[in-house]
Amino acid sequence: MVYEFEGRTEKEAIDVAAAELGLARDEFDVEILETQSGGLFKKGKVRLRVHVHSNARPAPISEAAAAQAAGRPIPEPRYDREGRESRGSRRDPAGDRPEPRPVQPARAANPEGADEFEAKILEFVKTTVEKMGYACEVAVLFREDKKLGVRLDSEHASILIGKKGKNLDALQLLVNVYGGRLGREDLRIVIDSENYRIRREEALVKLAYESAEKVRRSRGSLLLEPMNPFERRIIHTTLNDIVDVETKSEGEGLYKQVRVLWKGAKR
Amino acid sequence: MERDLVEYIAKSLVDDPSAVTVTAVEGDKSVMLELRVAEGDVGKVIGKHGRIAKALRTILSASASHSAKRVVLEILD
Repeated sequence: MVYEFEGRTEKEAIDVAAAELGLARDEFDVEILETQSGGLFKKGKVRLRVHVHSNARPAPISEAAAAQAAGRPIPEPRYDREGRESRGSRRDPAGDRPEPRPVQPARAANPEGADEFEAKILEFVKTTVEKMGYACEVAVLFREDKKLGVRLDSEHASILIGKKGKNLDALQLLVNVYGGRLGREDLRIVIDSENYRIRREEALVKLAYESAEKVRRSRGSLLLEPMNPFERRIIHTTLNDIVDVETKSEGEGLYKQVRVLWKGAKR
Repeated sequence: MERDLVEYIAKSLVDDPSAVTVTAVEGDKSVMLELRVAEGDVGKVIGKHGRIAKALRTILSASASHSAKRVVLEILD
C-alpha cells in the first residue's frame, strides 16, 4: 500500500507518516518525491511516498497521534507512559510493536508505604505551585527503580518551566530535598511539564551533533553555553562515540560550559 | 501570597516546623520576606552552597502575584 505525506523536513514528514499509520519507522519504506529546500526566509517542504510492507496493515488515521508527531519530532517510547490510556483502546495493527511498558499494577509492584510517599510528593508539588498562584494538576508520570517521574499540568506551564527550565529545576530540587526528608534519599524525583525534559534532551542531542559537525569543518573548537550537569552529560555521552571530536567541561560551579574540540582522524 | 508559599516550603523542609516564621516587610517597590527557622534548621533552608535558598528565590520570582513588587527573601539566623 502506498501513501503520500508532506512535512517541512524529511524527518518531520516521516514522523507524521509513522504516527498516522501507527507503524514503527522500520515497518515501511520511504520514497522522496519532492524536496523544496527552505531559503533563508522560506520554509522548505518535503513530499514523500510511503510503501507499507504487505504484512503490516495501517491503522485508521489518528489525528492526535499525527499532531503529536508534528509537535515533537522523535516519537520516543517514553511518551507512551502517559499516552497509554488513550492508546489502550485504539486497536494496534502492528501487533509486534513492543507494548508501551506493561501497565504496572502500581500498588502491587511498589513496596509498602510507597503510595503514601507518592501521595505526599504529589501534594507537595501541587500545594507549592498553587501557592505560587497557578492552578495545576499533578500525577505520577513514571515509576522506575530509583526514579519517580511527576507530571505537572497547568495552563501556565511556560512560566512554571521558566527560562531554560530554571523554575522547573528549582521546583524539582525542592521536591527532592523534601523527598529526602521523607526518608527516600535514594530516590530521584523528576518533574516534567509539557514534555519539557524530553524535548530539551532531544534538542541537546541535536546541538551536540551540530557542534561536532561545525568543529569538524573548522578544525578548531567550540564553546557551548553554560549548562547544568545533567545537560552537559547528554552532550558528553552523545559525542563520546564520535572518533574525531572530543568534549571537555570548562569553568567552575554548577553551570560549566562544554567545549567541543576537533581531534582529527588520527590512528 | 508569597509569605504562605515560603512558609509552606520551609515547614516542609525543616525538623521543627513550629519554629518557622515568615514576616513580610513592605517597602515601596519591594517586599522583604524574613524567614526565621530553628537554629539547627538553618542549613536545611539554605543548603549546600545556598542551593535550596537559591531555589526558593527562583520559585518566588516565578510566583504569580509578585509582578507588582520585587520580593526579597532574607534568611535570618
